[in-house]
Amino acid sequence: MAIANLPFRSISQEISSRGSVFAVCFCFLFAIAPHFFNLPLWVSGIVVFALAWRCLQNLGKLGALPKWLLIPMVVLGGVGVFAEYWTVVGRDAGLALLTVMTAFKFLESQRHRDLLILVFLCYFLIATHFLFSQSIPTAVMMFATLIVITATLITLNQREAQISIRQLLASSTRLLLLSMPLMLILFVLVPRVPGPLWGLTDEQRGGVTGLSDNMSPGKISNLIRSNEVAFRVEFEDELPAQNELYWRGPVMVNYSGYRWTQMPRKPLQRLVLSVSRPAVNYTVTLEPNGELWMLALDIPTRLVSDSVMTRDYQLINKKKINDLLRYSTESRLAYEIGVDESPEYLKIATAYPQQFNPKTIALGKSLAQRFDSNEAIIDEVLDIFRRDEFFYTLNPPALGKDNVDEFLFGTRRGFCEHYAGSFALLMRAAGIPARIVTGYQGGEYNSSGNYLIVRQSDAHAWTEVWLENRGWIRIDPTAAVSPNRIEQGIDNALADEVSSFRIQNRNPIFGNLLYRWDNLQHSWNDWVLNYDERKQRDFLGKLDIGIDNWSDMVIALVLLLAVVTGGFWLIAWYRELPPRPPAFEMQFERMLRKLRRRGLVKNPAEDSRAFLRRVATPELAQREQLARIIDLYNRIKYARDGDSAQARKQLRALIDSLQV
Amino acid sequence: MLSLSLPAPVRRYFDNWFESHNPPSRESILLHNRRLYILPTRFGYLFAVMLLFLFLAAINYLNSMAFMLTFMLTALAIVSLWQTHKNLLGVSVKLLVPRPVFCGEYCELKFELSHTNQSRRFAIGIQYAEQPPVYVKLEPQSSNTAVIKLPARRRGQFRPAGVTVFTRYPTGLFHAWGWLRFDLPLLVYPRPLKNARLQQSLIEQFDGQTSTSTIEGDDFAGLREHRVGESLRHVSWKAYAQGKGLLTKTFQGHARPSLWIDWQQLTHGSQEDKLSFMTALVLSAESEEQKYGLRLPNKVVEQGYGKVHKHQCLKALALFNQSDTAREFPLDGDS
Repeated sequence: MAIANLPFRSISQEISSRGSVFAVCFCFLFAIAPHFFNLPLWVSGIVVFALAWRCLQNLGKLGALPKWLLIPMVVLGGVGVFAEYWTVVGRDAGLALLTVMTAFKFLESQRHRDLLILVFLCYFLIATHFLFSQSIPTAVMMFATLIVITATLITLNQREAQISIRQLLASSTRLLLLSMPLMLILFVLVPRVPGPLWGLTDEQRGGVTGLSDNMSPGKISNLIRSNEVAFRVEFEDELPAQNELYWRGPVMVNYSGYRWTQMPRKPLQRLVLSVSRPAVNYTVTLEPNGELWMLALDIPTRLVSDSVMTRDYQLINKKKINDLLRYSTESRLAYEIGVDESPEYLKIATAYPQQFNPKTIALGKSLAQRFDSNEAIIDEVLDIFRRDEFFYTLNPPALGKDNVDEFLFGTRRGFCEHYAGSFALLMRAAGIPARIVTGYQGGEYNSSGNYLIVRQSDAHAWTEVWLENRGWIRIDPTAAVSPNRIEQGIDNALADEVSSFRIQNRNPIFGNLLYRWDNLQHSWNDWVLNYDERKQRDFLGKLDIGIDNWSDMVIALVLLLAVVTGGFWLIAWYRELPPRPPAFEMQFERMLRKLRRRGLVKNPAEDSRAFLRRVATPELAQREQLARIIDLYNRIKYARDGDSAQARKQLRALIDSLQV
Repeated sequence: MLSLSLPAPVRRYFDNWFESHNPPSRESILLHNRRLYILPTRFGYLFAVMLLFLFLAAINYLNSMAFMLTFMLTALAIVSLWQTHKNLLGVSVKLLVPRPVFCGEYCELKFELSHTNQSRRFAIGIQYAEQPPVYVKLEPQSSNTAVIKLPARRRGQFRPAGVTVFTRYPTGLFHAWGWLRFDLPLLVYPRPLKNARLQQSLIEQFDGQTSTSTIEGDDFAGLREHRVGESLRHVSWKAYAQGKGLLTKTFQGHARPSLWIDWQQLTHGSQEDKLSFMTALVLSAESEEQKYGLRLPNKVVEQGYGKVHKHQCLKALALFNQSDTAREFPLDGDS
């Protein structure tokens, strides 16, 4: 019947105890709380309802929810999620569905087994948080959640031991800290597969701030108020001057009279450019923007894998950038480009609707008549911006239908998109092809990590005009109005209007900490979030320990895990088992085993001398030897200086020679 | 559960293996590495399935933190493997000598669990066969007892079945256990028949027998010459002071009526009924402070009285016609 005692008997059918129900309710609440803003309100309502009901039921104030009511509720919950998202898969709908079903599971959980399953679901919930954010604070918060969930798991297994909450949390933290080294080994060495395994719905991720695919007055000034990091850049050599840092993003060519939009993207057939300065090499770590465009210093001259360059020199990724993206490329800061631009494109770049902004159009046309060179027209317009009372402000007055007219001839207060938009329209009216380029300008250098931080507040819009024999030339009308913007950055240009996000403007001690914090985030991005197949190969290659393929990794992984776990185990043996008896006791045991074969058995109650007296009958041939052994044994054990290496050796020799 | 689905030869093989690796003991058994086994629980397997799903999700979303979570939980499982094992490692288990009980009462198996190191042990379960487990915890360097009550449904002497000492602490993903057998007999006396009276017909009365004078006893019987070697406690110092020399006080016990409880005298009822009746007579004779003896067809217990004598009689009754004294303690009445 021995095998009946194997561990397969179920002890999970037991009714769950009161304390453990509360523990699991709290655990779920803790795990789901940070999702409050990611869930529709009614889902949060269901969670609160289910937990409240379960707790009241636990207190005996309410009965269990009847099954006939529960089943329709579950169905309704599913339908509700579908009605909300028109799907039940994908990140947001999947989360809502998981949450609703977990909440309902609470209402029908009576047994110990159900509670364990709920705890497992809570573990699973942690993963969903990482689909929304993978930042350091999220990681810290999720570690805390792991501690709470694991403590709940322990309390479900403590079996009347009545461990205090503090001790539960301490044990749980200890378990997780012990898991850390193994986790790191797994993280570094488990071979990464280039994913995804199955098609992901390319859903729009809400709440991402960033550049937009169109530009109208007020669009960029909204972005300026965000201090979120757009991307970070490490330069291989010298950092270019601040006024050369134009980060090229979406290019707008189509103009509706109010809004600038992108043309359908077409890949560039061939890049013709002449350069006068060496290339700048750098690596960008782009925060997810939920769009296709990548940012590069004007003008990128090397393609990144999985990306294309459009005919207006934008780098476009092949799929939406929903995760951190890291790429290395090179740019030329002085260039001549697009001299051979196609006539069709130039035609689009000079088109504008006639019915809006009549004054601006008239001004543009008159400029074309007054000046004979295009360069002169450009200079004149920039001069107007400089000469007349134009102000660079984040809070321009609202504009109506003929917005450019109102701006140029009325308010004269505007932000970069006002200047770029009106400049481009004036150019087109004067017959010069012009387009808007949006992106970022500048950035903040972090000396503690030797890289540049570009934030959403560095968003900018400028123009490019096309001149015969010179191609596309960058003109930044904002620089004419507010040279500070370009030379020193947005914070200095608008010091009264925006509270500075720049770390350099803070007090030095605090600022230093912030630089370090940003550096930590950058390393986190680089080493943790970006640890993919390529990074893994690079890293293992750099370690130079001969691990360069899939099977090596698995072997190294298994070996390391075995060594660490075996080490833990050895320590446990050493610490938990009572100390082994001294060697001479083992020898004595050996002698007793020898004698037992002869049928001479020592009673547990007998001491060695009594045993000797009893067995050492005159018939026993080894009588003398046995007496010597027992005498020596007692001397080693009890005499003040009887225990010596020599005595032990003698004891062993005597027992060796004992013939029975 | 699994055991039921295993084919008989496989079961027998495992049983033999377990038997040979876990020899029975009279003393305390130390749970060391070679006596401890560990396997995942059903929740352990479920956890593994969840990890697989997490891993696939992490690959699919290329989400580094999801990878990290997967690996963290994998590491947690590995850590709880040896933590669960460690929770039992070094614990000594001892079965305290069980007291005989009467059939129909509960036989109490008292296990003493102890350990000598600084850690605390939680949720150690002790399970006897299919009985519900009893859980104990151990403070550092301490011991604790777990009591398992088994209904004694049949008289006789039995050996206890193997007990499982197990734990799932801390995470419940693994089940570590040791299988222990103790070589201590469980004795179940026959059930005493209620309202049994000492019937005159069963009793052979012996008259006029008084016990000899001894230095132990209840009633003072007189003084006699002191002999060398006798304890000075029994010397009558009063007599010595009166100049009568060293005299020893002697006492005399009660003159007890003595009787025989005789199988042959019983004519009615089955064997078990007779044993029940005789058990009741033994108890009644003992409580009435009579001197009694027992006559069974195959065994005679000479007349006497006192605790030890009572135990001898009851044991003789318990073992009557029980050929195999090494049977396992039966948990269902008929087996």
